[in-house]
Amino acid sequence: MATPLNRILYVEDEEDIQTVATVALETLGGFTLRVCGSGAEALKEAPAFRPQLILLDVMMPGMDGPSTLKSLRTLPGLEKVPVVFMTAKVQAGEVAHFKEIGAVEVIAKPFDPMTLSARIQDIWNGSHG
Amino acid sequence: MVNPEAIREQLNALRQAYAEQLPGKILEIEEGWRKLDQGPWDPKAFLTFHRQGHGLAGSGATFGFPGVTERARTLDDLLKTLPGDKGPPRPEIVTRIFEGLGALKEASATSPVVSAILPPPPTTGRDDHLVFLVARDPAFAESLTDQLGHFGYAVRSFPDTAALGGAIDRERPGALIADLPAPPHDYEVLEGITGLQKVPGRRMPVVFTASRDDLATRFSAVRAGGSGYFPRPVDISSLIDQLELLTSHYSQEPYRILIVDDEEATAERFRVVVEEAGMAGRVVTDPRQISGPLVEFRPDLILMDIYMPGCNGLELAAVIRQQEAFVGIPIVFLSSETDIGRQLGALRLGGDDFLTKPIAEDRLVASLTARAQRARVLRSFMVRDSLTGVLNHSRTKAQLQIEVARSRRQGRRLAYAMIDIDHFKEVNDRHGHPTGDRVILSLSRLLQNRLRKTDIIGRYGGDEFAVILPDADGPTALKVLAEICDGFSHIRHASERGEFGATFSGGVAILTEAGDAGRLNEAADRALYEAKNQGRNRVVLAE
Repeated sequence: MATPLNRILYVEDEEDIQTVATVALETLGGFTLRVCGSGAEALKEAPAFRPQLILLDVMMPGMDGPSTLKSLRTLPGLEKVPVVFMTAKVQAGEVAHFKEIGAVEVIAKPFDPMTLSARIQDIWNGSHG
Repeated sequence: MVNPEAIREQLNALRQAYAEQLPGKILEIEEGWRKLDQGPWDPKAFLTFHRQGHGLAGSGATFGFPGVTERARTLDDLLKTLPGDKGPPRPEIVTRIFEGLGALKEASATSPVVSAILPPPPTTGRDDHLVFLVARDPAFAESLTDQLGHFGYAVRSFPDTAALGGAIDRERPGALIADLPAPPHDYEVLEGITGLQKVPGRRMPVVFTASRDDLATRFSAVRAGGSGYFPRPVDISSLIDQLELLTSHYSQEPYRILIVDDEEATAERFRVVVEEAGMAGRVVTDPRQISGPLVEFRPDLILMDIYMPGCNGLELAAVIRQQEAFVGIPIVFLSSETDIGRQLGALRLGGDDFLTKPIAEDRLVASLTARAQRARVLRSFMVRDSLTGVLNHSRTKAQLQIEVARSRRQGRRLAYAMIDIDHFKEVNDRHGHPTGDRVILSLSRLLQNRLRKTDIIGRYGGDEFAVILPDADGPTALKVLAEICDGFSHIRHASERGEFGATFSGGVAILTEAGDAGRLNEAADRALYEAKNQGRNRVVLAE
């Protein structure tokens, strides 16, 4: 049996999205969530938190999703953690690009808070199945 | 633990907060643009402006503003094309940006819609509601596309398997349906599908339809990786059942395990073990305090130490079993007891299993999961309709009472609908009861597919269904049900006597100030009667 998914690192700059995703993932999904407001904060928090999966917003001020991913990959223990991008840009070409640079999946924004955790669980099962 | 009502409330509160802040946010975005427009041009400020607009596109529909998402996306698409560092855009673009902002403002002024009437998010990754269809026969392809569409599946159709691989690389459907033509062309399709299944990134669930139903063809289909085989005319309900089985991953609430052990450290360890296995655990160290958790935690299983001070496990099990509501909860004893006679004694008093301490964690988890799962299935038989899996008559009535009370308490809206298949007796008489059952099943599937997860669907008996729509007003409920009504009328059912269509009539009623479950029921029933009177195949809103 695959290890159950528990610890998720979530990087998102917008507060209202943070809150609704927290309800969706923590309360509804039962995951342990660490929320970071920026890529820089994620780099600081990730090594100690040891996430099993990282959810990364693409368009953030300062360090955006792709460059955060690049830096995360250089940290010990985070070389292989599955990363999922969240974005309102969902053209097929862009999705393919995100996957090329190492995202296992891309979740479209806006998302439905009632089904977000199931979607994440699916992705987790898929990346371990 | 997961309490859907609490979550719904939290989400509603968030939605409200978002709605309150939305005008201010849009004003700020607009202000940012005004400044840019009046100059001097600032590439950095433009970037911020673009990001804020983009942010609204990503958040709007999550909070019940699909219109905001749509308009912000249009604006985002426009802004994306502009090289922000090369100075202000051309005047006609500036005008379009202002127009876009105006449209955004307009969309923010509408009242938020409840979450599930959200537009389906655009495709990324695997899309469980996208199906690829390979069929040489265009009429068949068109009819199947249409049928599946009513159940919420989008279909991309291909005349042969040649173009399939490339298409799969671009978007991932949840499943593939392949129609087998008559030989020798069936070979091409089978080969194509087999080849596809060999490429790791392109493998996916496949079902076959075929104009022939012989063993040889069925074998070939299985060899090509088919997980379903449907002879034509295709029975749409069975096909939908199969597709759902293949594509959906039910997100189930975790099993709840109540741990009763006077030793706190032991109890906590068990709790950690069950939680790490994805179940929810709750600890009771004083057996006399068990009644509270029994009621509010609603355990699927009780794990109990057999020797505890003050009250031993056997007696406690007997006490629990005396209460009708808890008869169905399995009780698993845990003890270092190895005497088989005493173990059997424990089972006689109402225990279901006996585990000996020390026990390996994986064995504990496996044993608890299997029992909790079976207990949940058994319980669902007691509250669910055996044919359709939706709530049964008595459960639906009870649920309506609960929802009415809740709506009153929270000052929320509530819609209730009664649905009845038109001339169902004729369907049964003409096509036989098994076909009639399939028509009922397809309606229940359609309702489950089209309604929100928070809506409650019950089968009232025979061909009659009831739907409870929390948080919905009259016009919304009417619109949703009218769409379902239209969808249902387009579904083609198959029987030995050929294909046929069926319709339903529906009556919708809204909970009024003075109303209660009884009146709601009567009003919906009257509206249903009215719908039948007006000629059927329609939904009527009660006055």
